[in-house]
Amino acid sequence: MDMHSFINFFLLPGIVQGSIYALGAIGITLVFAIMRYGHFAHGDLATFGAFIALAFTTVLGLSPYAALPLAVLATGVFAVALDRLFYAHLRAMPKIITTIASFGVALMLRSFVQVVWGVNTTSYTRGITRPENWFGIRVKSHEIVTLLVAIALVVALHLFLTRNKWGKAMRAMSDNPELALFSGVDNGKVIALTWIIAGGLCAASGFFLGLNTELKSLMGWNILLPTFAAAILGGVGRIEGAIVGGLIVGIAEELSVLVIPGEYKVMSAFGILLLVLLFRPTGLFRGKVL
Amino acid sequence: MEWITVLNYPVYLAIFICIYGCLAIGLNIQWGYAGLFNAGVAGFFAIGAYASAILTSPWAEGRLGGFDLPFPVGLVGAMLLAGLLAWPIGKICLRFRSDYLAIVTIGVAEGIRLVARSEEWLTNSARGISAIPRPFGDLPYAKAQLVYLGITALILLVAYVLVQRQAVSPWGRMMRAIRDNESAAQAMGKDVPYRRLEAFILGSALMGLAGALYVHLARTITPDAIDPMLITFLVWIMVILGGAGNNRGVLLGAIIVWVIWSTSEIVTDQLPSEYALKAKYGRMFLIGLLLQLVLRFRPEGILPEKLRKESREERPMGEQASATQATGNIIN
Amino acid sequence: MTALLTMKNLRGGYGDSDILFDLSIEVAKGEIVAIVGPNGAGKSTAMKSIFGLLDIRAGSIAIGETDITGWAPNRIVKAGICYVPQVKNIFSEMTVHENFEMGAFLRKGDYSAALDRVYNLFPDLRTKQKATAGRLSGGQRQMVAMGRALMLDPQVLLLDEPTAGLSPKYMEQIFQISRDVRDSGVAILLVEQHAKQALAFADRGYVLAAGRNRHEGPASELLADRHIAEMFLGG
Repeated sequence: MDMHSFINFFLLPGIVQGSIYALGAIGITLVFAIMRYGHFAHGDLATFGAFIALAFTTVLGLSPYAALPLAVLATGVFAVALDRLFYAHLRAMPKIITTIASFGVALMLRSFVQVVWGVNTTSYTRGITRPENWFGIRVKSHEIVTLLVAIALVVALHLFLTRNKWGKAMRAMSDNPELALFSGVDNGKVIALTWIIAGGLCAASGFFLGLNTELKSLMGWNILLPTFAAAILGGVGRIEGAIVGGLIVGIAEELSVLVIPGEYKVMSAFGILLLVLLFRPTGLFRGKVL
Repeated sequence: MEWITVLNYPVYLAIFICIYGCLAIGLNIQWGYAGLFNAGVAGFFAIGAYASAILTSPWAEGRLGGFDLPFPVGLVGAMLLAGLLAWPIGKICLRFRSDYLAIVTIGVAEGIRLVARSEEWLTNSARGISAIPRPFGDLPYAKAQLVYLGITALILLVAYVLVQRQAVSPWGRMMRAIRDNESAAQAMGKDVPYRRLEAFILGSALMGLAGALYVHLARTITPDAIDPMLITFLVWIMVILGGAGNNRGVLLGAIIVWVIWSTSEIVTDQLPSEYALKAKYGRMFLIGLLLQLVLRFRPEGILPEKLRKESREERPMGEQASATQATGNIIN
Repeated sequence: MTALLTMKNLRGGYGDSDILFDLSIEVAKGEIVAIVGPNGAGKSTAMKSIFGLLDIRAGSIAIGETDITGWAPNRIVKAGICYVPQVKNIFSEMTVHENFEMGAFLRKGDYSAALDRVYNLFPDLRTKQKATAGRLSGGQRQMVAMGRALMLDPQVLLLDEPTAGLSPKYMEQIFQISRDVRDSGVAILLVEQHAKQALAFADRGYVLAAGRNRHEGPASELLADRHIAEMFLGG
């Protein structure tokens, strides 16, 4: 295989898919780090975000790119509402109860999408985009946008967490929740902030998944496993880990077709997950082990 | 119309309650007694269904088997295979908190569905396996159903009695001790990982058994017959609504949830066809909502576990203190 | 002498079992009060009760005239009480500077004066501002922990076994800094395993046993009492 086809058929699609996983995995890792449970509705929340963006394009007649920020914001606020409605009152119980509740929320979100938008596949735009050719590297414009927006979101999040007072409070809550309380941090606000960020990133991941492939009610559920695998591979609670983990899972999936039948491509994330749990449960960046 | 045909629907309903009852008791062993979050119930169910289908169906061109073996062999094979699959998964995941087990079991269920879909030599792919025998299947329809209900009810009863006996035995107390305070149980010399693995395998075997019971009822199996999210979720809500840790409770949960689920189908089937499909998803939404309501207003379920006291409460700040309390040592 | 922090006839514990039975402690402005006693006496629990970390079934806790029994931790912090737990008392993945910033979380506006004062109290840390707190030595971590708690200019500082596991050199340093803090007008309540050393440097002391006050008085008197020494201070 020559360099160009490796890049065009494996590396580039892997990076694009990987950044979609990374956006979701950051949210999962944040929820893990601050609230200490696995959030199983994350995939279906991404579906919800993707369809909210679709609603903005069809109802308001916006272009998909204009719908994206609105969908990110709406899904972020929606995630806070989900927390208040279904998770907040479970905080005093063992964390796994909230995980169970999130499983139910996943079902509700999916059914909601199926009732409102049906079960058929759809897309943001009609027609086929032709890839541009740069020195033999063929890349589509929406792939470039995916990468640029993902990078911008990650940089913005990094700046927020390292420069802003509330961003630092989030890190503090993740690091040592009791001491954060003793420092006067209001954990209700930190939790709401975490949901806005996790929900917003989730909508972005769903949007880009829809943009690069297609929209369907099961799209988010199907990326739940690779997204979790990315978060655990990177190390739970590690944002940089979630990004690297997402990229590795995305690229590994694309490369997997060289060694396993294509039907099992989606299982490569599962394989990575098992290997991580077997050999390095703290993940690449030494995260928390629950 | 003969009296027996009037019973067709209730009998059909009852058979499914028995099958789901098996699933619920299986999950109760895992979640109720051992605190293990299996989110891939449907996967173990499917394994059992396919195992029994391959073992008992007549020989067919182009796929493994069928071996034309008797019905009980199918059931045993289903349990063995489901338990066998649970073993390595448990080995890898049970060291960690249940979140990891949950995500891995979701992966297992997906993987099983993919195998069922893609491996023609094993499962005959999308066309599936048919002509699966049913004991006394030669009887007229209504009678055959009634007999099959008897068989499933008997199997469920045996499973219930055996599991219940375990639950009230020292084994059951030990499992709950491990669930409620792992470190204290470990300090008392319990082999926590081994016990958990035991519960995980046993529960999965019962799920496999339920799959086998289902496949001999349906007499055919295709990859799409098993909706992973739906089955898993229904069983979870049965266990939580009925009362995790209480076998009678989870059986009650199975009855309530299954009756609601299938009778609501009768209602939505009356709708014009353009709404009927949407109504199906609406029903799933309501089932999801039901779980939230139970968790909010009656998290211990309708029939709560008797022995469970305050152990469900978690005290993030007082963990060390309550742990030392439980071992009965220094409290400072 | 008017008490700043008052714990009156406290009874409480975790879940069904009580650890404190009848506990009363007072701390006034500008004094160091040490709680000593055998293992299991409820020393740390007494301190945790202030922050609402256990179920209080009877009695009250007040700062000044304000009853703070059962308040949420962030309100108690705002009321002027800062707490340095015995373990997990720093943000180990954050830098020293960020630890202090978190200490100042509730402060509005510029807090460079408070920051400067903390660095003056712990000059060793001035050169380690960008270091990850978890990588410091044990003594330095304890300093970060105290510095974080002092960032809010608390009226009352609670120290749970501040010298546990520290070398004599650091122990002396922590005691000296505590005196400096006291002299700036802060009331300090500390729990100590090293009873003799603690009473030697505290102003007043309480000896607890089985969740009750057993003895109290000026630290020097407690230290001089043969009976107490034999029973509780290890001879």
